[in-house]
Amino acid sequence: MTKYLVLLPEALVVAGAVVVLLLARFGPSRYRRWRRALPAVAALILLAALAVELRVGADVGSYFGGGLLVDRFGLFVKAAVLLAAAVGIAVADWGAEDSVSIGLAMPMLAVFGVMVVASGGDFLSVWAGLELAGAAGVVMLATRRPDSALRLLLLGAAASALMLIGLAYVYATAGSADLGAVHAALLGVAPTLPLAVPVLVLLGALIYRASLAPLQLGAGHGLAAPSPMSIGLVAGLGAAAAVVAAVKVSVAVGAVSVAFSPYVEIVAAVAMAGGGAGALAARSPRTRIAFLVAGQTGWVIAGLATQFRGGIGATIFLLGALVVAATAAPAAAGAAGISELAVSGLGTLRPARAAALTLAMLSLAGAPPLAGFFGEFTIGAALARTGHLELLAVGLLGSLLSLVAAIGTVRVLYLQNPPDEGRRGLVALPVWTRLSAFGAIALCVVIAGYGLFANPISSLADQGAAALGLR
Amino acid sequence: MTAAMLYAFAALTRPSPAPSTVPGANIFTSAFILSIGIWAPVLMAFVIGVLPNPRGRYDTLIKQIAFFTNLIVLFILFVAYNQFQNFLPTLQYEENRQWLPAIGAAYHLGVDGPGILMLMLSALVGIISVLASTGIRTRVRSYFALLLLAQSCVTGAIAAHDLFVLVLFWSAATVPLALLILGWGGPRRDAAAWRLVGYWGAGTVALVLAVAGIYVATGGTSFDMEVVLKAPLGARAEVIIGLALVIAAATRLPLFPLHGWVRDVYSDAPIGVVVVVASSASRLGAYVLLRVLVAGEPDGAKLLAPLIAGLAAITVVYAAIAALRSSDIRHAAANLALVPCGVTALGLAALTPLSIAGSVLSLFAGGMASALVVSVFATLSDRAQTRNAMVLTGLAARMPKLAWLTVLAGLGVLGVPLMASFTANEMTFFGAFRTQPVGAFAVAAGLALTAIAVAVLIQRVLFGPPNPDAPAVSDSSLSETWFLGLMAGALLWVGIVPGGPKIPGTDTPLFDPGVVNQMVANIPEIASPYSGTATP
Repeated sequence: MTKYLVLLPEALVVAGAVVVLLLARFGPSRYRRWRRALPAVAALILLAALAVELRVGADVGSYFGGGLLVDRFGLFVKAAVLLAAAVGIAVADWGAEDSVSIGLAMPMLAVFGVMVVASGGDFLSVWAGLELAGAAGVVMLATRRPDSALRLLLLGAAASALMLIGLAYVYATAGSADLGAVHAALLGVAPTLPLAVPVLVLLGALIYRASLAPLQLGAGHGLAAPSPMSIGLVAGLGAAAAVVAAVKVSVAVGAVSVAFSPYVEIVAAVAMAGGGAGALAARSPRTRIAFLVAGQTGWVIAGLATQFRGGIGATIFLLGALVVAATAAPAAAGAAGISELAVSGLGTLRPARAAALTLAMLSLAGAPPLAGFFGEFTIGAALARTGHLELLAVGLLGSLLSLVAAIGTVRVLYLQNPPDEGRRGLVALPVWTRLSAFGAIALCVVIAGYGLFANPISSLADQGAAALGLR
Repeated sequence: MTAAMLYAFAALTRPSPAPSTVPGANIFTSAFILSIGIWAPVLMAFVIGVLPNPRGRYDTLIKQIAFFTNLIVLFILFVAYNQFQNFLPTLQYEENRQWLPAIGAAYHLGVDGPGILMLMLSALVGIISVLASTGIRTRVRSYFALLLLAQSCVTGAIAAHDLFVLVLFWSAATVPLALLILGWGGPRRDAAAWRLVGYWGAGTVALVLAVAGIYVATGGTSFDMEVVLKAPLGARAEVIIGLALVIAAATRLPLFPLHGWVRDVYSDAPIGVVVVVASSASRLGAYVLLRVLVAGEPDGAKLLAPLIAGLAAITVVYAAIAALRSSDIRHAAANLALVPCGVTALGLAALTPLSIAGSVLSLFAGGMASALVVSVFATLSDRAQTRNAMVLTGLAARMPKLAWLTVLAGLGVLGVPLMASFTANEMTFFGAFRTQPVGAFAVAAGLALTAIAVAVLIQRVLFGPPNPDAPAVSDSSLSETWFLGLMAGALLWVGIVPGGPKIPGTDTPLFDPGVVNQMVANIPEIASPYSGTATP
């Protein structure tokens, strides 16, 4: 029975998504009355799954012939994405979404995808989970912006193809698709060029997807921009799936880390500095969020270059902060996030939402004492320990630029007066609901509490790194 | 004053073997006294932030909350100051809890002599900044919430005894201060705020790199200052780390050439914010230099001492010349506020017990003098409706209270007898002339130039012939007189009774054990690696 109980969180999430989709297609007419309560129900399902995960995920084990691993790494990642999705759904402005059913179902399926990646024990489950999360993002985007969805689809397909090539070569070298077996097989193997190239291709594809996916969304202007929830899905959950896969694969092939570490460092440096510079150059809060996410993803990738328990633990720790802020920040901004004018004075008109957006953006910028700062500091400590001081310096520079950009948006939120309705244009303010207010408060609590109560969270992340086979 | 200096020197060289009891001592004890000082303003900032304030109905209540929060914090920290046992060279009011065990970071707070002095400065500045902000009329809730957050960050950085906590509070101070300038500053508030963020951000990058260097060099297991600053690192590592620390300190204190934010911030930030920045927030630069470089990296400190002394001298001379040439009185005041920074840095560069003690006292006295001179000229320009020194002449008769305060501010910057800065300057120079004679001479020459600048400015603005074409002027309001008077009073109090008032006929302190007595705790230990360098 325990064997199946460990699948209960995943089952709850998938069942929730399927029921929401089926209700929209075949639901009775009375369903329309209840539709407004659906986001709250979905958030509750995710929280229930989180509670179950925290209970059953604490018992470490291997199930289904090693295909499913229940360990601290999986527990941490699953808890983070479930919380992120629940908070994101709660804080979202559902009046700005095209379809409530798709807007709820796709994030839940993306969460399921990340959960599969997190608990997958072999290449197949990692790849499948990643594709599921990516596909959910494409579907969500396609409801309003088919062109963006097509771009993301092509990007994902290219990354997927590269990843499959890499996986195939690593499988051929190691003789197994099992991550643990690959780790063991490569321990005695010299990092030759024929092995280094596919590993590079494999990790490159994952990093490509993780760090660039958010940027696909920053360019949308006007009313045809992607819906806020779809941005949160792709920038938060989609990128998280890729990063989680990259963590697992990089640890599995860690024996040949000398082959990919320099590449990872370059990508991380570009993402950290470019994310900060991009955020500074952008004006729209939504674009800024996308660049801030890219910048913090760079920090996460930088952690992969360390390849020791403390460094990967720090990576996992920051990943938790990143996924919550990246998923919920666009949702908190709502449709008004497309321009500075539309969010002017939001602090007066929608104080809880403005506070949530402020804390999320400052956390993504690495401002103390919020979640992102603690994560970036732990990665910085790991980078220093492994002698990557130049990477640390670039990261700090990127964070400084990000901070300036985030302060710029906070200023607009709180220090500028709300524009007249006529000047605001066609962009409506996010609708106030009890659920959105609760979600905004919850987001504030999570982002502030993540750092202040970093001791148990950081320890769990460290145990997660240990579970990956790093001592 | 000489007696005060001798008193301080005696306290340095022969620390009292027994505690001096102060009436009321040990009436209030708490294991979380520092945490209360740090987090109470954060809590009240949150309360203010969520307090409904339709159409500014509760503006007065919000100001009262901010005031009484600071008053309570001041009371608590004054009790801590009173109960501080200056005969102990160890940390007091210590709190130590694990925070990020994976990297060895802990929530470690504690203060020694210099720390308790800085805490008193921060607490006093909290009250003064609220009094200086009573004129705020727009977005009152946001203003006072941000002000409380800024004060909390400064207090946290002072009390931090773990490098992680230090970095956290040091960098966190930038965000509320920048928002305060952006929201309530003068015409050039954008330039002021972004320059502050740029310079302080660069300083934070330098500090983090220095901390990372220390962390790695000591094995990468702890950020606790008790651990990492006692481990020998080697001269090369200490110099590299020390350079990063000097950059961090020079951006914050500031020192030439990293002073680019000063003019805009001091002339365009709201006065309440100027008070915080010019006094306690900027003094964190010197405090970090003392706490980390001087106390923890003796080889690096010795090798970098000429550089720091040189920067100090250039800063003072540059500030004096720039003040002399400025026709904008707020710019002139901003430049004058740099002078005490140079004196503080000189004391740290000299590395003698007396100069370090002078430097520590200068953290308080220089901070107060800088804040006073900047805020008095800001008030003066507000009241006179112009900042142009060519237009503002002969104001003494029309604004007598501000004239007195302006004179006191000028004297405070110069460090004349009866002012706290006099004792600090004398201790610094007496300690510095043997180890850094060139630097000390240059700083002294800079002070002479500063005297000329102050004299010219005061003579022109206050005692020159009245300008009939100048806009109408008015004297300072009650709240302005209070906050400026408090700063001037603090300078005079410490200057006149540095050892604290005594019960007549006894050596028992009346209610204040004396700044000079309390601050010396742990200074002999900080200076002990340099005892071979020179003895004053």
